[in-house]
Formats: sequence, structure tokens, C-alpha cells
Amino acid sequence: MAERREDERTSKDESFAREALPWMEDVYRFALSLTRDPADAQDIVQETYLRAYRSWHTFEPGSDCRRWLFTICRNAFLRSRQHARLEVDVIDAEGEALAAAIEHGAMITDGTDRLLASVDIGPALDRALAALDEPFRSAVQLVDVEDQSYEAAAEILGVPIGTVRSRLFRGRRQLQQRLRAHAQDAGLATAFEPGRADHA
Amino acid sequence: MPDEPQNIDCRTAVQRLWDYLDDELDDQRMVEVRHHLANCRECFAHAEFGRRFIQALSRARERHVMPSAVRSQVMQALKAAGLSTD
Repeated sequence: MAERREDERTSKDESFAREALPWMEDVYRFALSLTRDPADAQDIVQETYLRAYRSWHTFEPGSDCRRWLFTICRNAFLRSRQHARLEVDVIDAEGEALAAAIEHGAMITDGTDRLLASVDIGPALDRALAALDEPFRSAVQLVDVEDQSYEAAAEILGVPIGTVRSRLFRGRRQLQQRLRAHAQDAGLATAFEPGRADHA
Repeated sequence: MPDEPQNIDCRTAVQRLWDYLDDELDDQRMVEVRHHLANCRECFAHAEFGRRFIQALSRARERHVMPSAVRSQVMQALKAAGLSTD
């Protein structure tokens, strides 16, 4: 009997090490995007993995372990901040998509769009992403950085797919606005000239 | 012979642009947007910009590396909780 329990434990540990541990970098990145603080992110990663280990019997073999870990991570973050609450989104996703094109029109006009192709915008983009408010940051992080589908992001965040879309599109537009401001501050673009941003 | 894709206007194409770039539209709408972009220089420019923007964002994965101390601490906590990695 004791031997069988030991075998089960070994099997559980092996599958946990094989399926869950390789995603620690990804979970850390997501935790960091939620907390914006490396020490807090470290605590959230530890909490995520401890909860995942204790709940490993609930993980369905063959399903998406990274998605499962992201969900636990998100819940651990909400518990740590004690602000797990229902959020009502009233953003018009199609309107956001149109506004993003108008923003791009302005970027063409002032030359900011060339910035993306001509210089390393990584550091500026990281700062802009870190400064993005929730709930937009989580949507951008999951879809654009972690390459999750809208459906997976909706499951992780516990919201409808339409809410993910609207948050994602709003987040992207805000990032574009911040990048444009960064380019203007850095003297990489001319002053904004309205008038050509009327396409779409 | 396959049906010609339905023509959509610039407004509709732009409204669907993020979904298109994320590969989240159904097949028919994907074809409609692709067809529009092939025939509209301005919307094509929006799409190319959007694609570059998303690519730049996805590269954040490479820039954010987890400190090795995090892995050590998590593994220590897991071992204390009973995980055996032998």
C-alpha cells in the first residue's frame, strides 16, 4: 500500500516537472506584467506553482498547461490585491479599431510610423506596456506577448471574448499613442499636423 | 469555380483589421479583408503598420528574462511542499 502511494507520488511529480516547470519563464513574465514589480512577481510565481502542485490532480492531461498556469497566476494576483471584482467593460471594439487607424494616420503624417522600422523601440515599448492600465495591460500581455488566442485569454481572465477584444484594442491604441509621444519627445518626428488622419 | 469575395469598404476593413491580423476572423471574412487590402493602398499601409506593431510587442518575450533566483526560490518552495525532482 505504502509502495503504491510512493509510486503515485513519483508519477505525479514527474508529470508536474515535465508539464508545468518548463513554463516558469512565461508565468514570471505574466506575473511581472500584472504586478509591475519584480519582487511581487516572484511571490506570485511561487504562489502559482505551489497552488498548481497541490492541485495537479485537477489538471487534465493533454490540455494546455500554460493556459492553466496563467489562470492560477491571475487568480493569485487578484487574491494578493484583494480586488477580485466584476469589471464592466463598455468599450466599443470596432470603434477602437477605427481609432487605431486614425492614430496610425497621424503617425504617418508626423513620421512616427517610421520609428517602428528604423530604431529599436523595445525599451520604449516595454515602458509603455508597463505603464498601461489594467485591465488593458493583461489583455495585451496575453495576446500580443504570450501569443494566446482571444478564447484562451478570455478563459484566463474570466471574461467574455468580446471583452478581451475591446480591452486588447483599447490597449493597443493607448500603446500607439504613448509610442508617438515618445517619438515626438525624442525629436524623432515632426509636430503633429492634423488633416491627413482622415482615412477610415 | 470559387465565388469572388464580397467587396467591403475601407471602414469595414479597418474595423476588422486587428481581428484579421490576429487570425481571429472566420474564413469568409479573412478572405474579404485580404481581398480589400490587396486593392487598397491606404488600408494596406494600416495593416502593415499593425503587423509591425504586433511583431514589436511579441519581441517583449525576448527582453524579459526571469532572474535565476526566482527559479531557485520556487524550486525550494516546491521541494518543501513535497516535490521530488530526482
